[in-house]
Formats: sequence, structure tokens, C-alpha cells
Amino acid sequence: MPKSMSVVREAIAGDEADDAMAERVAAGQAKEQVKAGRKVLPIVEGVVLVAALLAPLVLQDYLTVFATRVIILALFALSFDLVWGYAGIMSFGQALFFGSAGYGVALLARDLDITNILLVLPAGTIIGLTFALLLGGFLLLGRHPSSVIFVSLGTLTGSYAADRLARGWYYLGGQNGIPSIAPMSLGGYEFTEGPAFYYLVLGILVVVYLLCRFLVRSQFGLALAGLRENEQRIAFFGYKAQHLKAIIFAIGGAIAGLAGSLYAFHEGFVWPNMVGVVVSTQVVLYVLFGGSGTLIGAVIGTVIVEGVSFWLSDNYREIWPIILGLLLLLVILFRPLGLISFVLGERERVGSFGARPKETERKTEKQTEKEKRNAAP
Amino acid sequence: MANAFVAAFEILSFGAIIVLIVLGLGIIASMMGIFNFAQGEFVLLGAYITYLAYAKGLPIWAGMVAAPFVVGALGFVLEALIIRRFYAAPIVAMLGTYALGLIIRESVRGLIGGFYLTVPEPIGGSIDIGATHISAWRFTIIVITLLVMAGCYLLLSRTSFGLRMRATLENPSLARASGISTPLMYGATFAFGSALAGLAGALIVPVFSLYADLGLRFLIQGFVAVMVGGVGSFIGPVAGAGVIGTLSAALPWVMAPVVADVLVFVLAIVFIKFRPQGLIAGKGV
Repeated sequence: MPKSMSVVREAIAGDEADDAMAERVAAGQAKEQVKAGRKVLPIVEGVVLVAALLAPLVLQDYLTVFATRVIILALFALSFDLVWGYAGIMSFGQALFFGSAGYGVALLARDLDITNILLVLPAGTIIGLTFALLLGGFLLLGRHPSSVIFVSLGTLTGSYAADRLARGWYYLGGQNGIPSIAPMSLGGYEFTEGPAFYYLVLGILVVVYLLCRFLVRSQFGLALAGLRENEQRIAFFGYKAQHLKAIIFAIGGAIAGLAGSLYAFHEGFVWPNMVGVVVSTQVVLYVLFGGSGTLIGAVIGTVIVEGVSFWLSDNYREIWPIILGLLLLLVILFRPLGLISFVLGERERVGSFGARPKETERKTEKQTEKEKRNAAP
Repeated sequence: MANAFVAAFEILSFGAIIVLIVLGLGIIASMMGIFNFAQGEFVLLGAYITYLAYAKGLPIWAGMVAAPFVVGALGFVLEALIIRRFYAAPIVAMLGTYALGLIIRESVRGLIGGFYLTVPEPIGGSIDIGATHISAWRFTIIVITLLVMAGCYLLLSRTSFGLRMRATLENPSLARASGISTPLMYGATFAFGSALAGLAGALIVPVFSLYADLGLRFLIQGFVAVMVGGVGSFIGPVAGAGVIGTLSAALPWVMAPVVADVLVFVLAIVFIKFRPQGLIAGKGV
């Protein structure tokens, strides 16, 4: 596999260069900064992290509860970003994994009295993973590669069918869902809404974020980027493109499952919308707004969309969805890389993968970092 | 016997409604390669215009006749302003039309509130056949669906407009070289598809009443029908719609409605997976 890596890298570099040309005018300022050798991404990530750490200290209690929900949704958005932004699989059914994990842990709590955090969160993750493996395996694998249209409509249909099933199935509570789920517990401690829950969720988000960051910057991430830019070329290099897709789809499902189980315990109830098309499309909105193909973009998108929606919901409840639609349309037409592209240059968005081959190395921060690493042991 | 007849009529009538809704979706998907997520909202707009005519005291027929023209005109404008930019990228087109649909749906929701508004049937009463009664309006819908289907087919296969439309969509550069204005043809096709959705909305509003999520309900069924039938021809999606509509209406008679509901989608997706070209493959009318 590593043998063909440099070829892949060049192939991607070519494609990205074309994109970069088109993007140059729009992202001129961001480019300047990159040329100067400054990296924007770690700064953005740092600012977001600090803001998230300080939030419960300055926010009132009810706002902390709201912030917790946003962080959980950001985790969910991360799962979609991984699938769409990095592997180019349009999953219109991401809520299927989010919601089924939510239902799963709600049933564990209701019927078996299992609320131990060390059991329910892995359980939710595994439920998400399993469903994603099944659906992804069915939609993506096979003798002939599936068309993008089929995959996106297939996931959409799956989510819609699950919604209908949850609504009609008495065991799952029908239209009303499963109310009053007992809080998550660890030993004798119960996680109820508030700062403790907030920091728990934030900790999980940071860990998952770092894992994703490692994943998309690894050699696997490079193959994914190749997949997104030109699937056929990657297939000709001998990669099993469909397998790569199925793997990333399953990882996305697992993260969505983790988010779904946290969401179920945080809200205290699950209801059919959680598996349905509404939530599935909501997560698409977050990621498109923030900027797909950057992990931090997904987080920022979630915070902005949810934040503004919360802020406007008192006075402009009816108008907000219309504004949201208009903004989304504008973003798709004029800022296809999302809001993050105002500060982040194209080159930095694409980034670099694993260890760079010697001959292409330039005096960049990347290299100095590497030298430091080599000098360390 | 009477029961079987009622069941058959129900199935036929629902099948006709799905066909009516899928016609526009299918034409846009087959001829332009765009899966229009806003199609459900065009249906909703058609229904809303009919309601508006009724609320203003005009005859309902007037609203039903106006709906396809108004929605078609809107489709033409939207195509020129927005949809045109999406032709190269099918996924972006989905997202863009989704955003459009969101705007239309929420605007209508703002206008009508969260209510279910009823519109009376322009042809009320029932048709009595022996001991059984069937709704006259649903029967009218079946007849109109058949007429519209035949009309569309003739338009696409027999007129010079249809020929130019198919030429444009099959080979745009050759069509341009032959003196056909391709931007105009794209606009006309999209407007035509939108108009059909408007008509569908206008006709079904007495059956389903008007609410903001009216279009959403049919959108996914419509997509599945288009995929089952096969993208690329006019006949394909219609056949798919017939199959999906009939199945969705027939299965609840033999099993629990929930299971039937989900089973239709599962069967459809499995079918598409193993026969991606659909029931009727190939280009043409």
C-alpha cells in the first residue's frame, strides 16, 4: 500500500491545485497567511476549545444545559463530516445511527435498568457501528460500485423507514417515544443536566475529535482524500475503494451512535424524529454551514446554527427556518466550503498526510516540527 | 366481492396519486439528471394555491387550473436563477434543491400556521355501483392521471417540442449545433416538471387536506419510485410509481400497516441494489 502513496499524493495535489485556482480570488486573504507560514487551523481549534472550556463558568444554568446539547450535536456532526467531508459519501440517513443508539440505550435503561456509563456508552457506540456496518455494507459493497445517487437516496430511505417503524411500533413507544429515561450513573454518582454532564460530553468530544484528526491525517486519510477527489483513479491504483468507504461509514456510524446515546440520556427521552429525516438533514446543515472537509468546521457549524436558532427562537420562531434555508442556499452557491473558508486557506484545508517524502519537503513549520520530533529521542 | 372491489379501487386510486406526483419528479430526474428535493414543496404550493382560491371565494376549479401554471412559472424562474448552476454536480443539486424546498415549506407553514386546512372536493358525492360506493373525486383523479400520462407521452414522443427536449437532454452540444436553444429547453423541462407537481398538489388537496409537510410525505416515496422504475426514460418512473403506489396501498390489506410501510421501502432498496438500471432501462421516451 505505501508504495503507491506518493503517486496518490501527486494525483490529489493535481486536483487540489485546480480547485485552489478557482478558490484563489475568494480566499485571497487566507492564502496570504498560509504563505507567510502561519497556520490558522490550530488557532481556530484552540479558540473553540478555550471557549468551550470556559462556557459553563460564564453561562447561566439553563444555558449550560443548552450548551451540552450543542456539544452532543457537534459530536454527531463530526460523524457526518467524516463520511461526507472526507470520504465523499452523501449520507442522508446519519440520524438512523444516532437515533437507533438512542433507542437502544433507552431500552437498556427502561427494561434492564442498566444506566452505568461504562456500559451504555459502549453499547450505544456498538449499536451505531452495527447498523452502519449493515446499511453501509449493503449499500456500498457489491460487485458493481453503487452510484452516489443510490447511496444518498438509500440512506435517506433507511432513515425514513426507521422513523415510520418507530412511530408504529408499540414496544418503542409509538409516536410518543420512550419518556423519562433514568440518568446515566457511575458508581453512586448520577449524571444529571449541568456542568458535570457538560464537561463529560466535552471531554468525549475532544477525545473523539483528536482520534478523527489523527485518522484523517494518516495514510488512511490520504487514501480517503483520494477517494473523495477521484474515486476511479484510486481504484486503478489497486485500492479497494468500496471497502475504504464501508470502513469510514462504519466509523461514522459508531460516532453517531455514541452521540445518540449521550443525547438520549441528556434529554431524558427519545422520540421517532431522532431516527428520522428531520435530524438527518439537520446534521447536513450543520456541516455544510461550518465547512465540510474540516473537522472544526463541523463543530463551528453546529454551534452557529444551534446558537442562532436558540437566540432567534423567542421572537422569530416562524421566520428562522426560512432564513436558515436562504443562508444554506447562499452557502451552497457562493461558499461551497462553508464559513470556515473565510479564515482557512484551501491548502491548509487539504493539509498533509503522514510523513512527507524527502524531496518535496520545504522549510515549513511542518518540517521544523518533524525535526523537533526526531531530535527528541 | 364488494369488499374486494372497494380494495381494488382504493389501491388503484392511491397508485394514480403516486403516479401523478412522480410524473414531474421523473421527468426532471430522467431528462435532467437532477433529483429535485423541492418537488414535494411544488406539490405543496399547488395545494396551497388551490386552497387560496377556495378561501378567496373563487371556484375550486379555478384554483386547480391556475396551480400548474403558477408553479410552472415559478419553476422556470428558479431554474434560471438557481438550478442552472447545479447541472454538473448531482449531490450539490440535491442539497441546493433541499434548501429551496426548506424555504418554500417554511414560508407556507408561516402562511397557514400549523393547521390542517380542508378543501372540499369540486365533484362531491359518490358513484354507486350496485351495493358499493366509490368517491367520485378519487375516480376523477384516476381519469385525470390517465389523461395527463397520455398527454405527457404524446408531448414527448410526437411533438417537435418533445423531440427538441429529448435532443437537448441527450446530447446538449449536438443540439446546440443544430440550432436548438438549450438553456431555454432546460428551463422549459424544469418548468414542465414543476407544473405537473403543482397539478398533482391541486388535485390531491381535497383528499389529504393542506398542511405544511404534505409534500415531504410523498417526496421519498417518489424518489424510491423513480429509482425502481429506472432513471433515463419517461416510462420508467411511471412504471415504478405504479408498482410502489400499488404495493403501498395493497400490502396494508394483508399485514400490519407498520410492517407494510417499512417493507415497501426495504423491498424497493433491495430491488434497486440488484437491478440498478430499474424496471425499464434505457433512454428514449
